[in-house]
Amino acid sequence: MSLGRVGSVAPARLHEAARAAANGGIVVASVLAAALVFVVAIGVPPGAAASAFIEGAFGTSLNIAGTLSKMIPLTLVALAWIVAFRAGQLHVGFQGQILVAGLAASVVALRFSAPMGIHLALGIVAGVIGGALYAGLAAAFWRLRGVHPILSTLLLNLVAVELLAWWVREPFHDPSTPLPETVALPGSVLWPSLSGHGALHLDIVIVPLAAIGIHFLLRRTSIGYEIRVTGANPSFARASGVWTERVSVTAIVLSGALAGLAGTSLVLAGSTPAMTENFEAGYGFTGIAVALLARNSPLGVLPAALLFAALEQGGGSMEGTVGVPSSLVDLIQGFTIILVLVAATVEYRKRQRRLQTAVPTKTATPVPPSRDLGAVS
Amino acid sequence: MIAVDLAPLDGALAAAIVVLAVPLLLAAAGELLSEITGTLNVGLEGMMLAGAFFAYLGADSTGSPLLGLVAGMSGGLLFSALMAILTVEADADQIVSGIGLNLAAVGLTGYLFDHLFSGRPQALVPILGKVEIPGLSSLPVIGEALFSQDLVTYGTFVLVPVLWLGLYRTTWGLSLRAVGEAPAAAETAGINPRLVRWGGIMAAGALGGIGGAFLVVVQVGIFQHQMTAGRGFLVLAAVIFGGWRPAGVVAACFGFAAADALQLRLVTAPVVPPGVWLAVAIVASGAALWRWVHRSRTSDAGGLVWVGSVAIVGVLLYLKAPAVAFPNQLWRGMPFVMALVVLASSRARARMPSHLGLEARRA
Repeated sequence: MSLGRVGSVAPARLHEAARAAANGGIVVASVLAAALVFVVAIGVPPGAAASAFIEGAFGTSLNIAGTLSKMIPLTLVALAWIVAFRAGQLHVGFQGQILVAGLAASVVALRFSAPMGIHLALGIVAGVIGGALYAGLAAAFWRLRGVHPILSTLLLNLVAVELLAWWVREPFHDPSTPLPETVALPGSVLWPSLSGHGALHLDIVIVPLAAIGIHFLLRRTSIGYEIRVTGANPSFARASGVWTERVSVTAIVLSGALAGLAGTSLVLAGSTPAMTENFEAGYGFTGIAVALLARNSPLGVLPAALLFAALEQGGGSMEGTVGVPSSLVDLIQGFTIILVLVAATVEYRKRQRRLQTAVPTKTATPVPPSRDLGAVS
Repeated sequence: MIAVDLAPLDGALAAAIVVLAVPLLLAAAGELLSEITGTLNVGLEGMMLAGAFFAYLGADSTGSPLLGLVAGMSGGLLFSALMAILTVEADADQIVSGIGLNLAAVGLTGYLFDHLFSGRPQALVPILGKVEIPGLSSLPVIGEALFSQDLVTYGTFVLVPVLWLGLYRTTWGLSLRAVGEAPAAAETAGINPRLVRWGGIMAAGALGGIGGAFLVVVQVGIFQHQMTAGRGFLVLAAVIFGGWRPAGVVAACFGFAAADALQLRLVTAPVVPPGVWLAVAIVASGAALWRWVHRSRTSDAGGLVWVGSVAIVGVLLYLKAPAVAFPNQLWRGMPFVMALVVLASSRARARMPSHLGLEARRA
């Protein structure tokens, strides 16, 4: 299947890395070209739109801060996807894990008090555990009852959405406002601000640390090796003594923990002092697009997340300046996923042809691109 | 004697349930066809949203709700064609394709809507009229709900049994199911699995599109950003809950619609009215009884104890209704929890089409 082709093999060698970057570049260029078509179609001059976009994403220190802060959840969710994906586990529960992490962090923030720093650390730990447990629930459904994580996480997301809607209206609602939001979180639990306008917080340091950390984990540790080998070839992994079930569950839980960390950042370094109903802002799904664009490489996530963060930030401000509806951003993100999938297929078929011509005797009967599409690749 | 007070359970509620159930039923019929042929169509939400937007666009520019419906169906088909190209022709992962399509649908409908309709007060598009069936429509309770409806609703009533007959009583239906269960065997029998999967996905697009269009041209007459509000996902849950069987899926859609209608009625009620407890007791003990009757070891008396205790607890709750208000958000989350519970039972999984594209990337 195509996802296997997107990035089951990390670009270890240089020319592969170059090809990956070139492919990513082609996808990005075609997506931006498509976006330009939409912009021109509604009668906005492309030059004006482009400069409004760049101004919106990078023009002022406030805009740069906004772009950088949007990188945090995008990077973490993309890494969360990668960890699970590399173990051969697809799940889409990041939205739910972010929300549950937010709930856990808000309990620590509003029901406990602790000195500065410690309170923040407790909030983060609670959120990470919340995300990991919610992912663990999906893993438990899978291991104990055979429910596929895709289906269970899809449902768990929707449960979490309603849970949060209730959370900010009933038990944690701020009675002084009719809006569905919690009481403002105390300063001791918030990430310290890095800029006067409060758009960027210290949690930005997580971005490079997490990307490098996951890269290191996958490449240089034994659990990372077990994750990769389980994802690449489960029967080989089992034959060589890897307890694949445990590795898969670990990967899902670790994935949930990363999504949970994203959730804590969104709540404890958010744009509003209180936790609102829609703090997740769709990152649980757009993060997947980032991972796909990065071809499931932890370091590749950094440029991909920067691009998507700039799109969110710059695209949002184009509405006010040149009248391009901000929904363009969703459109671009959807197109990116679609194009990455198409690009992966095209590349796979090319590789098949190459293999066929290179060693005709050994691959005399290459697997035809899955006759029964669901299950064969 | 105690007067049986079924306060919120009246004809208006029955009518509301039907109106809320129709878009779910339409989309579920499409999704069922798609899943039976092996495609887990997560993009259904996007297809419904496209249906809603293009229905609004069509009805607004032509002034005809029927043309709006057609436009909505085309919008759904547009996205399902994309889904089919991705998953059938390009062998792309079904889940990721669906996620991409959902995002693209939110973007496209939002973008076009903002561009085309911003800066002027939103016009109400004409709504499909009701056609009363003489005589039947004056029946108590169900008359208004079932026989004073629009053409789409009547169409849905016809579609569902036809779907069941088609799937389980024709060779055509057998080939559809074969593609979802054993594509290789189906191909040996001369069925083209690709073509069948295309058909299933396009059915999901067409019916999901009409379901989304129904929200606009029958229910409210306007379009809003992301107005399908998770109905596509609710339908995914209904198909799971219904065990991939038409009758089960229909029951699940009506159940979810009833929960939603009740929730809408109870939003203003300070506490849950006793009638609701009675209704829950009847439904729960009925379900327990049904289970007991259908289990293999009917000699087991434990099941009957269950049925009895559920009924007794329900009646007690009815007589001494506790002063609790059930938060409507949690109420709305119940269908998804219920779908999870059903999925965790081994019987449901046995009914899942074997080649529903989940283990997609595994060779």
